[in-house]
Amino acid sequence: MSYTETEVLIVGAGILGAATARELSKYQVDVTLVEKEVDVGWGITKANVGVVNQGKDTLEFRPEYHRSHLLWRSLSMMEPLCRELEVPFRRVGGWEMCWDMKAKEKLDKLARRTESLGLGKDRFYWYPELKEMEPNVSDRILGGLHDPDIAVVNPVYLTQALVENAVRNGVNLMLGTEVLDIRPGHHWFEVRTTGGDFRARYVINAAGERVDKVAAMVGADDFVLFPVKGYVGVLDRRLEGLVNGLVSVLPERPGEMNVIVPTVEGNLLFGIQLKINRRGDHSTTAHMARAALENARRLVPEISEKDVINAFCGFLMLRNFEIGWHECEVGMSSRVPRFINMTIGYPGVSASPGAAAEVVEILQKDGLKLEPDPKFDPHRPGIPDFSRLPERKRRELIRKDPRYGHVVCRCETVTEGEIVEAIRRGATTLDGVKHRVRAGMGRCQGGFCGPRVTRILARELGIPETEVTKKGGDSSHLCCRVKEILREGREGG
Amino acid sequence: MVEKADVAVIGAGPAGLAAAIAAREQGAERVMILERAERLGGLLPQCIHNGFGLLYFGEDLTGPEYERVFIQRARKAGVESRLESMVLDISPDLELTLSSSRYGYAKVKAGAVVLAMGCREKARGALGIPGGRPAGIMTAGTCQRYVNVEGFIPGRRFVILGSGDIGIIMARRLTLEGAEVEAVVEIMPWPGGLIRNEVQCLHDFGIPLLLEHTVTFIHGETRIQGVTVARVDGERRPLPGTERFIPCDCLLLSAGLIPENELSVRAGVELDPVTGGPLVDENRQTVVPGIFAGGNVVQVHDLVDWVSWEAEAAGRNAARFADRGGIPFRDQVRVRAGENVKYVVPQFISGKEEVTLHLRVTRPGLKATLLLGGKAFKRYRSVRPSEMIIEKVDVGRLSQAVREGELRVDCRMGEVA
Repeated sequence: MSYTETEVLIVGAGILGAATARELSKYQVDVTLVEKEVDVGWGITKANVGVVNQGKDTLEFRPEYHRSHLLWRSLSMMEPLCRELEVPFRRVGGWEMCWDMKAKEKLDKLARRTESLGLGKDRFYWYPELKEMEPNVSDRILGGLHDPDIAVVNPVYLTQALVENAVRNGVNLMLGTEVLDIRPGHHWFEVRTTGGDFRARYVINAAGERVDKVAAMVGADDFVLFPVKGYVGVLDRRLEGLVNGLVSVLPERPGEMNVIVPTVEGNLLFGIQLKINRRGDHSTTAHMARAALENARRLVPEISEKDVINAFCGFLMLRNFEIGWHECEVGMSSRVPRFINMTIGYPGVSASPGAAAEVVEILQKDGLKLEPDPKFDPHRPGIPDFSRLPERKRRELIRKDPRYGHVVCRCETVTEGEIVEAIRRGATTLDGVKHRVRAGMGRCQGGFCGPRVTRILARELGIPETEVTKKGGDSSHLCCRVKEILREGREGG
Repeated sequence: MVEKADVAVIGAGPAGLAAAIAAREQGAERVMILERAERLGGLLPQCIHNGFGLLYFGEDLTGPEYERVFIQRARKAGVESRLESMVLDISPDLELTLSSSRYGYAKVKAGAVVLAMGCREKARGALGIPGGRPAGIMTAGTCQRYVNVEGFIPGRRFVILGSGDIGIIMARRLTLEGAEVEAVVEIMPWPGGLIRNEVQCLHDFGIPLLLEHTVTFIHGETRIQGVTVARVDGERRPLPGTERFIPCDCLLLSAGLIPENELSVRAGVELDPVTGGPLVDENRQTVVPGIFAGGNVVQVHDLVDWVSWEAEAAGRNAARFADRGGIPFRDQVRVRAGENVKYVVPQFISGKEEVTLHLRVTRPGLKATLLLGGKAFKRYRSVRPSEMIIEKVDVGRLSQAVREGELRVDCRMGEVA
């Protein structure tokens, strides 16, 4: 049997796998990153509201939790990382608001704890002052605690950038490669995948929704995860500015959060309805949609049903969910040497830089030789965002490549130049293009640009249009040429 | 460098073409159509069915035939066009910023502007259908483009949600292509399209139309596996216990059209919340001086013939505006939609000139009477929300009907169908 040998095999190109791969790419070490989907960041990472730096929420992040320390360590890392990778990072600030005095006491306690932990000082604003900063929140709000450090990123952009940069620095990326089985040996793991067999000295399991399943392959699953489904709604870009930062209220009922948050693209997201659910089932339900919208409207009455342009569900893999003590699992398995599990639950994106750094330290401590790579290039150029560029830059771009003048997605003003660049960076599907440059992300949801992006994908990838898919596998939009069904009917009958 | 045009027309569909021709005929020197697609015609090339031009030409044409006549007339009239050019912004002094792969980043200073961007279909997100997010869900118009322009069939077994005209026309088209159309599912108690389309596209092909039903769940993660369909109650809520699964590999959405006005709003144009189009006067001028609008960007029409006529008015008046350096917005009389009237266009009139009112009823019915200012104006054997009512009203009738700067329009029903 032939094996591909690799020092470190990372399972899963979500935010954690990507951050770890990129961290390891700073060293002279052989790393392979395998991902079962045809693109990166499509699991838990994709279904995320993109809030980062929520480290001052010390009711949620207690000092006795491992994940709190990963998060706090990451606080100073996120912005420079985004700068290096040219990923949009917006420090929008965030609110934890309350309706009544009882909840305010909780906020006071939170503020005291945050301060005593040395995490800085957040100020409480009563409604009249709060209104100056967030004029559209309900006047029934009593007040809120403001954390100016809260920021937003697009976790999928960040993952793509991390992977691009890791690959640029020598990491071997294998997409559409699902791990089927892992057998631990004395010196090597034998890893059987749909893309061939590997021998790896270390396995880093960052398999997201399947992290416990992959751990179980080697018996390193000494932790229990609860798949918790979260519903998030997307509002039209027309409402940009309705809230300026993250707006949330302390949860009143278990199983739901009430947050409204601007994305880096200018849409607003709202949610999150939480529910323990069978994993793999990403369907939205009418009940979740209704409850989330009701909550959002209570917080910002101007939001209406008409403004909802999309909705999605994602999973949080929460450890110890049943006892209300969510913890992460990041570290070497106590049962299987050289096998590292990585699952955070919440807040995975925020804590990812710190978690990746910690995993590299664990590898080092275990004896993996990590020599810094002198050729390491930390910079990854971003894809130009035509819609947000000033006029001078737009002219420049079109002069260099006229395809930047051709607007393909009219809702989000995405040009052919950007779409071609997205494909050059690794997009092979309609969703891959959409999650890199937003073509099809707007209010018409690809009604207009879908056929056009399909054609560009086919042209750039050199495949027939019937082979262009939404998200890999059997998800093609087109089944055959016209008249083919009739011909089959004649031949068959 | 800034180019100059007397009239700039945004969009080269039936509305844009008609507006541009009319503007030239009215005497505008330089009329320029700005179109983001690679050719003129808008959506007409994909509408290969017939039924176009019955009123305008007295002939039964297909979409491409109708388009050809207008493109030829535009050429003859000396209308200029800029293809693959997307208008990004309109400034208050009517300077248009456009982006194009052919002409680069350009500015056009216009004497007057006609908005003719048409409309788009409601997408899944806006309909809020719960379930998975697989491939195989698209609007009927996108499917129409795939089949009639690109030459591809998106599936073998279809369910169509909404009985709008494009949806039922595609039901027939797909059946002719050998695909199965399991059902057309309509949430309202009456069909959303024209009677002739319902008869010719559904009844003649034995395609079931499920009225007062809706899709309550989409099954499938990568490719759609089917939908759950349920009956709805009077408030359009699904009735528990009536759900059934219909397998399909493609779901088409034909549940409403929305005038495309993001650019208009950015330019300061005010919209009518009911039509989704700009508030206009009888000249089809919007509240922004010099910006006119015509066709489906103003209100969703059932017939292209009316799109052309409405846009011609907009084009003519835009030319007059450019020539005279302005014509006043006619807001002496506010037109109000009353009993069983969903909307009336134009929303503002002078009351001093003959005017053509476009309106839709809220509910269908038999023996209906249209009342202007409370006085009977015309009787109809039947009215339907899917069929626009268009009536010319002369000055005499108007002066009787207008009260305190308001023209109230009602449609009273004899008996409900």
